[in-house]
Amino acid sequence: MSSDTGRLGGPLNSIADGYNDRFGQVFGELNGLQFALIIGSLLVLLLVPVWAPLLGMSGLLRTLALASIWAILAMGWDIQSGYTGYISFGHAVLSGGAAYTTALLIGNVNPDLSLAVTLPLSVLAALTIGLVIAVPSLRLKGPYFSLVTFVAGLIFYQLTYAFSDYTGGELGVRVGRIDFTVGGFEITTFDPVMRYYVMLVPMLLIAVTLLYVARSNVGMIFVAIRENETAVSAAGIDTTKFKIWSFVLSSIPMGIGGWLLAHFYGTVNPLNFLLVDRSIELIAMAVVGGMSSILGPIGGAFLVIVLREEVLRIFGATGRWVMLWTLILLVLVFARDGLFRKLWHYLGRLGSRDGGEN
Amino acid sequence: MDMGAGAENSAQLAVDQVNDDGGILDQEVELISEDSLADPGESMTATERMVEQENIDVLIGTFVSEVTQGIVDYVGEVDIPFLITGSADPITLTDTVGEDYDQFKNIFRSGPINSDLQALGMADYAEFLADEHGWTDFAHIADDAAWTVPFSENLPDELEDRGLNVVHEDRLAPGTDDFSPMLSDVSSADADAMLRFFAHNVGTGMLVNWRENEYEFGIEGIHVPGMSPEFWDDSEGAALYETTSQSGAAGAAEITEETVPFTEAYVEEYGDSRPSLPMYMGYNSYDAVFVYKNAVERAGTADYQADIDTIVDELLETDHTGATGEIEFYGPDSEYPHDVMETEVDGTISNFPVTQWQDEGEFECVFPRDFASADHLAPDWM
Amino acid sequence: MISAVYALIAIGFTMIFGVGGVLNLAHGALIMIGAYSFLVVTSGSTLGILSLPTGIGLIVAIAVAAAASYVLYIGLVEHIEENPVITFLATLVVALILSELFVMGFSSSPRTLINLVPGSIHVEQFGVRVTNIEVVGFVVSWIAIGLLWYYVTRTDEGRSILATSMSERGAQLTGVDLPKIKARTWLIAGAFAGLAGVFIGTLQSTSPIMWLDPLALAFIIVVIGGIGSIKGSIVAAYLIGYLETLTVELLGAGFRGTFSLLVLVIVLLVMPQGLFGREWVHE
Repeated sequence: MSSDTGRLGGPLNSIADGYNDRFGQVFGELNGLQFALIIGSLLVLLLVPVWAPLLGMSGLLRTLALASIWAILAMGWDIQSGYTGYISFGHAVLSGGAAYTTALLIGNVNPDLSLAVTLPLSVLAALTIGLVIAVPSLRLKGPYFSLVTFVAGLIFYQLTYAFSDYTGGELGVRVGRIDFTVGGFEITTFDPVMRYYVMLVPMLLIAVTLLYVARSNVGMIFVAIRENETAVSAAGIDTTKFKIWSFVLSSIPMGIGGWLLAHFYGTVNPLNFLLVDRSIELIAMAVVGGMSSILGPIGGAFLVIVLREEVLRIFGATGRWVMLWTLILLVLVFARDGLFRKLWHYLGRLGSRDGGEN
Repeated sequence: MDMGAGAENSAQLAVDQVNDDGGILDQEVELISEDSLADPGESMTATERMVEQENIDVLIGTFVSEVTQGIVDYVGEVDIPFLITGSADPITLTDTVGEDYDQFKNIFRSGPINSDLQALGMADYAEFLADEHGWTDFAHIADDAAWTVPFSENLPDELEDRGLNVVHEDRLAPGTDDFSPMLSDVSSADADAMLRFFAHNVGTGMLVNWRENEYEFGIEGIHVPGMSPEFWDDSEGAALYETTSQSGAAGAAEITEETVPFTEAYVEEYGDSRPSLPMYMGYNSYDAVFVYKNAVERAGTADYQADIDTIVDELLETDHTGATGEIEFYGPDSEYPHDVMETEVDGTISNFPVTQWQDEGEFECVFPRDFASADHLAPDWM
Repeated sequence: MISAVYALIAIGFTMIFGVGGVLNLAHGALIMIGAYSFLVVTSGSTLGILSLPTGIGLIVAIAVAAAASYVLYIGLVEHIEENPVITFLATLVVALILSELFVMGFSSSPRTLINLVPGSIHVEQFGVRVTNIEVVGFVVSWIAIGLLWYYVTRTDEGRSILATSMSERGAQLTGVDLPKIKARTWLIAGAFAGLAGVFIGTLQSTSPIMWLDPLALAFIIVVIGGIGSIKGSIVAAYLIGYLETLTVELLGAGFRGTFSLLVLVIVLLVMPQGLFGREWVHE
């Protein structure tokens, strides 16, 4: 096996070196195998509409579109909770807030509002809610911060019922699909292929942006806050400011993700957007993939969604959830750093050994 | 959920009967069921999978209003005939078929009657209670949820119009667990009966409290969990004397000549599993299969992608004697387009029967009078 | 009256936190286990062969919930408790798994438990009605709380629990066997949850989602009373009881839960140590 990867590792490493020269400073250095994993996954994702029907799995288009949205949300959670160590258990409120903003605009203002209006306002709403939660609660630490954010989630969930005149209570609000034209070409999310790309492309763009942020000085400070907040303060850095920044950075992808999810389902309701379970799923994805790595949560989101929607279906409607939560529990106990981080480091070790041989 | 299992079993029974009889348009019929888990997102996935990969020809079901609401946009887009057999919210049809007929013309409700009409049926029932026991003062308690809005908006006025009094009104947050304040409010308002509309709230704790305290009012209305034939055991008999309206009247009465044979066939096939009776969605789903069969056979095609207009026209022509009653649809230009029509006997709505849990844990149909299987009982402590 | 039962739940929750620093989000699930154990052994409708008297059912419920709590600690929490966030998440996942398992085993339809003591008391002149089960719930809860009080203040074993919750390090220095103390605390908390489960399950409902509301309530009570404080939990349980009644009166039933949660957030932010608790905010 080592000779195989060795043979393969050579050319891969030289391509990777080309990448490292250009972008390594910004996004971090890769070895050949890690580079191959990234490019390979990217190709697989971009070409789903080609290979899925050939394998008789065209339903994957829907599953993976959903996974893309959740990947956005999981990354959004990660840049705040994963990086700073302030673990939020109420992040679904941010995406849910954005989704409800879209719903309220479409349902109560004008059903024909274009996305040029609803998208920015929804992101703004996520941002506002993020700040409302962040500013007071960031004084608290560890599980207490988690507790307050958890409670924030419960409050928003109940408010959708208390204000059911506007939110439609448990029925929610219909928001319809995304429908817009680019250069005379109509894009509608009723078409499974177009919908897939409408969800995938923002996910990839957000991933690149967040990776950039995470490797920048700001990202370094977030990590430093997680490792030793007192030391960071002692160095004369205003940690509160950076913690709030992390919420701001997190709110934007959460807002975009919430907006996409609203149009993916076509209806915004408490169950699919605000229930505590949604926040927990979000965290589970990030933790399963590997917290504070941006790429890990993407992997986690795809893994969890594919398991939930495709693989575990054999256990029946309820059994599926039992299996999913049990698997997540096992990862929590035995592989706390995340499965994709383990894979990444494994490839890292393998790749560098090969590099040495060459 | 019991409701879903009952609907699935009943539809399967209908499909088996149709196949024994030569199928639809000489084709064998296959039933594909998906559990939406009452989750709108889940139901979207299931619907898309069934339409795009399983190539289904008709969609039947959806109990929870939010699930129905969640899939109508998609269903409207792909034109597949959709017969709603569970959720009763009128806006499901008025906001879709009523607003944009061309887009949503493939959506129908074959039962139950929508909740605006159910509110009228409930008023008829209240008049019946006034006749029977001299109960004239009613308390109106509903889940604080969208599905009860038609009741809260229409029923109190309707009762006042008929010379009955509404002495107390309240809405309960979903998942309320402490019912004592509400019960004591109803009691101090001196209500003779409480009309309660519960789907999200489960009245088991309330029933125990009501019986132990021997509150002097009846508990009537709609109680979705109480429709399960297993509710007697689940509530350890606390269900005694509570009533609920449900399509098919749990098979306790001969609504049409179809009701009892279907119920018996169901019991024979599925009587040992949960639920041991079809439940209201089972009756409606059983009927829906035949409504669809008859319409496409008249249309001569089941190919909705090519001929949805013909199929819709024939569905509108429906006049079917089902297990729940006579099924006809409101026309496109009426107040409730594509909704199942209410039927009337002696000026009371008859496809809105009420059942009561009576001694030994039996469902009895107590309303309407012309096919009731037993008298309505007031609690023995009153 | 039911506030006493709430206090029972909150005390278990707060003891676990006090001794181990663990927020046990599976605490609500233990209540559910208690209620369903009672159901299985007392009602003929689940296992036909078993329909024991309700008194025995109560003991079984306590025993099963206590055992489940113990197993949860030894089998899971003990291995991850050094990381509070992972513990928070893992216990929550356990609660979700149990909830789905109960759906599979008993269907999602709610059940009623056989009443321990049927009947009611009607005080005519005050227009007050109280069911016997509420009275018994009240009395039994107070007896349980009283026994616990005696245990932690008058016996050596119990005192070591109290000492640990005051200072883990201090207790260790005086030779307290920490793992044993923690396991014992989980056992007691589980027993309290099981007992509460029978009353909650009778007075409210027994269903696979019954774990969340008592858990949220335990949160609120514990935080307001001060995390780790038994006395605080009792006072806060009554405070929240009155507050809820007041909210329903003034704002309507829809705001009942929300208002308590808001009070919780305010208390957390203004007075993070609660009424009787220790300071645990870090600036």
